[in-house]
Amino acid sequence: MNAVEMKNVYKSYENGNIKALNGIDLTIGEGEFVSIIGPSGSGKSTLLNMLGALDIPDSGSINVAGQDLNTSKKLNEFRAQKIGFIFQLHNLIPNISVVENIEIPMFTQKLSSKEMRAKALKLLDDVSLRDKADIMPNKLSGGERQRVAIARALANDPSIILADEPTGSLDSKTSSKILKQLIDLHEDKNVTLIIVTHDMDVAKLADRVIEVLDGEIISAGDDSLINSKIDV
Amino acid sequence: MSFLKFIIKNPFRRKTSAVLSIVGIAIGIIVIVALGGITDGLVNTFEETIHAGGADFQISGKETGDSAYGTNTINASWTDKIANVSGVDEAYPIYVVLTSVGDDYRNTLIGIDPNGTTLADISMKNGRIFEDNSSEVILGEIYADDNNYSVGDNIEIDGEDFEVVGIYETGDQNMASGVFTSITKVGDLMDDEDSISNIYVKVKKGQDPQTVADRIDAEYGDNITTVTSIMEMTQMADMLNMLQASTWAISLLAIIVGGLGIINTMLMSVFERTREMGVLKAVGWSNGKILTMIVGESLVITIVSAIIGSLIGFLACTFLGPQMGIEPLFTPKIFVQAFAIAIFVGIIGGIYPAIKAMKLPPTEALRYE
Repeated sequence: MNAVEMKNVYKSYENGNIKALNGIDLTIGEGEFVSIIGPSGSGKSTLLNMLGALDIPDSGSINVAGQDLNTSKKLNEFRAQKIGFIFQLHNLIPNISVVENIEIPMFTQKLSSKEMRAKALKLLDDVSLRDKADIMPNKLSGGERQRVAIARALANDPSIILADEPTGSLDSKTSSKILKQLIDLHEDKNVTLIIVTHDMDVAKLADRVIEVLDGEIISAGDDSLINSKIDV
Repeated sequence: MSFLKFIIKNPFRRKTSAVLSIVGIAIGIIVIVALGGITDGLVNTFEETIHAGGADFQISGKETGDSAYGTNTINASWTDKIANVSGVDEAYPIYVVLTSVGDDYRNTLIGIDPNGTTLADISMKNGRIFEDNSSEVILGEIYADDNNYSVGDNIEIDGEDFEVVGIYETGDQNMASGVFTSITKVGDLMDDEDSISNIYVKVKKGQDPQTVADRIDAEYGDNITTVTSIMEMTQMADMLNMLQASTWAISLLAIIVGGLGIINTMLMSVFERTREMGVLKAVGWSNGKILTMIVGESLVITIVSAIIGSLIGFLACTFLGPQMGIEPLFTPKIFVQAFAIAIFVGIIGGIYPAIKAMKLPPTEALRYE
């Protein structure tokens, strides 16, 4: 079964003057690790937003995790149950502790405070930050904050993780650690992992590299195209 | 962490702004509670005055016969009739005569039942009330001072010796120059036990004196007439109504000022947390949950304001009021009103910013810097 099926998806902004997606056809299998690369303004983040139901297409169909996003009226429930987001900037809430940040997505589930805390602590274990559970995010390093963001993305056991430049603001050593953590989680939990990145080294870690340029997919997995068509 | 705990924590993320909002709304609540306490205190004092001391109104004859001593009279049987009218709590007759008192050839002698003196709006300065059908009198303080009488002295009235058993005081100058004794004794002296001058009437608590007076007029208006102090009461009531109206006007002002303040605070909060709103939407929060959070945060600020404002208003009024001659009265209604206003302001102040947050497109919110 496919995790993602996009057919002929178009999206433009500013009354059609900016064409962000220009007839995208894309299929991603369940449990696959895919990277999406492309230069700034190529449409890769818009593509990711479409997959996460944060934005809707002007035309075309999108089916993610078995749900038709064109017709679904409860996209927030879809995001809560199926999708885990990781952003370039961790976007942690500053006035609550690390463990409480991980509990935030769980407010959409019917869990008691005790169950939420137990689950959040388990996730902190998975990202090796259990000892930082009760401190505030501003006491963490950049890499640690991004690991908390990873734990938060996994809070509701999503089937798909969408990561938008997850290592974009980190140094190379920390980036490697974060990517290893993501890949381990992808393998352990068999979640579909879709990473948007500028970094070819990061992209190459994926099972498949999808190249986007001017709102079009110019390669959906053929490595030979990478260096020849896109200057990232 | 519960959702409630999250809502309670959030407003204090921007401490200065939260404190300023709380101070602003708390000032409004202080004014509401203090004015409410003062107004209720004044109303209570007024009601106690008109119901506890003095009659609500008097009844006199319409076409009365003249007594031998120059005062108008009605038949004593009217007292029982008036006492049986619905709404009447107490009715006591008085018999006012002009007769020789001490060295005065003619002075006012008032006969009243010893139990009815409370309705005459007099209070004892020295001594005690006379006993029924006894040769005892009490003197108004002006009369006693002018004529050098004190408790224990004897005074001759209409040729008979009476003992001064008390000196009373009253706000009424004429009454302060008078002499009270038992109405039975006055009847004896005048040899006319069937006549009285007036009837003091006190209505039951909760009854409107004017309504009861109208009722008496409707039933017995052909023979008697009610002489009320309703005019004064109406004026006083009008003044208290104005005070109550100004309390509401200030409450309204507090609602408007507080509401604008809280809208501003919450709008700033949403504005500064735009990216966070994007994250909350990305992790699956519904618009309803975001609305609940923002309105909840607004309510946290206004409820904290209500608690602080009520406490300060109560304490300030309780300690400062008596020093200014005001005895405030705090009923649960005042605090319910203060909290209701705070909650109303909280909801109104939170809704608009919450709608703004709900309408934020998640992709734009996440891009916000």
